[in-house]
Amino acid sequence: MVEVFPRLLPGLWVTIKVSFISLFFAFFIGLFFGTINSVFSKFNPFNLVTRFYVWFVLCTPIIIQIYAAYLLLPKAGIHLDVFWVGVIVLTFNSAGYQTETSRASISSIPKGQYEAAKTLGMNFFNTMFFIILPQAIKRMLPATANEASHLIKASAILSVIALSELHKSAINLQGNSYKFIELLALQAILYLPLVLGTSYIASYLQRNKDDSSNINLAK
Amino acid sequence: MLDINFMIEIFPRVLKASFLTVQISFLSLIFSALFGLLVSMIALTSGKLINVLIRCFVEFTRGVPQLVQISIIYFGLPYIGIYLNEFWTGVAALSFIGTGYTIEIFRNAVLNLEKGQNEAGKILGLNKFQILIYILYPQIIKRSLPPITNELINVIKASALLSVISVNELTKIMNDVIFEYFVVIETLIEATVMYLIIISFLLAASRYFERKLVV
Repeated sequence: MVEVFPRLLPGLWVTIKVSFISLFFAFFIGLFFGTINSVFSKFNPFNLVTRFYVWFVLCTPIIIQIYAAYLLLPKAGIHLDVFWVGVIVLTFNSAGYQTETSRASISSIPKGQYEAAKTLGMNFFNTMFFIILPQAIKRMLPATANEASHLIKASAILSVIALSELHKSAINLQGNSYKFIELLALQAILYLPLVLGTSYIASYLQRNKDDSSNINLAK
Repeated sequence: MLDINFMIEIFPRVLKASFLTVQISFLSLIFSALFGLLVSMIALTSGKLINVLIRCFVEFTRGVPQLVQISIIYFGLPYIGIYLNEFWTGVAALSFIGTGYTIEIFRNAVLNLEKGQNEAGKILGLNKFQILIYILYPQIIKRSLPPITNELINVIKASALLSVISVNELTKIMNDVIFEYFVVIETLIEATVMYLIIISFLLAASRYFERKLVV
């Protein structure tokens, strides 16, 4: 176990990279879609498209999405490195979930905030950028940290398209050494602190949410 | 354009595979619900040490990717001398993953009940297990129906991962068909639509339960 440990570390690094790059992209895409979703009326075409997208992401297993991207992107004439295919799939998947969280947190901002902004003579974009979104993003943070732990777990599935992240490099070593149980235990040891650490951050943010996001008028 | 004839031709295979997916998921859900009930009962009645052990198990199933857990079951069961075919290995793996979540669902449901129920049971002279079985559990079954349906959705999504240990469920069949005929788009669409139908139906069911049952 000690001997193969260093050989898993590049895999671990790829896992972290692919998850966090996807989280970064998915955060902004989700924020964009969520804003569209909560600002426009229910039967607006934009809104219908984003609803359909979220429904699609929620209702298909991620492995199907991975195969679809892996097989269809070259057909569409886009030839990418397998790492970027992984980033695209995870972003696609996670943006669906983050659209939901950002929609929920934007619509949880009280209406008085919009009215106050209007009274100050702000236009729509100013209202969104300076008033609504800063508050909404604060409320989104716990869910985003949770999403990070989901993404780390989902990145293990990218091994089916031969991206050499942690799980795949462990599989390769298993094939070489036939030490199945040891390598599986090692993977568990490496994944556990990552995933539990991010979900611990999530619950920490959750606990401290109430005093940070509410505006204290007495101040 | 899409090759409709090909889609009709492979439809029986895909349908059979989706039945297997549903079958595996339901069986695993039943097993994990039973284990979840049992273990949550143990967790609620026993001391700190056992609770810490159960906590470790729950954190393990949450913290390790599902794919890694599936390979742990796949390689680990023969290692300790249990030989199962692919179908039952799949069921074992999904039940293992699901149990971690169902324990939490049932335990939280019991902890959310009023404390007076427990005390009333004690006054009637019932012991801990009797209180759980006759008083607390009958009340939580209704309440835990929506999260259990959500868990079934997770199990179906996880069952797609069983294709890596060559269980003949929907994703595996999809892969086989793709590499037999090299018809990518049609096969992908067909498999995706199957999943969409199954999971949308369950999603609607879970929303329905949430509206109807939660008081």
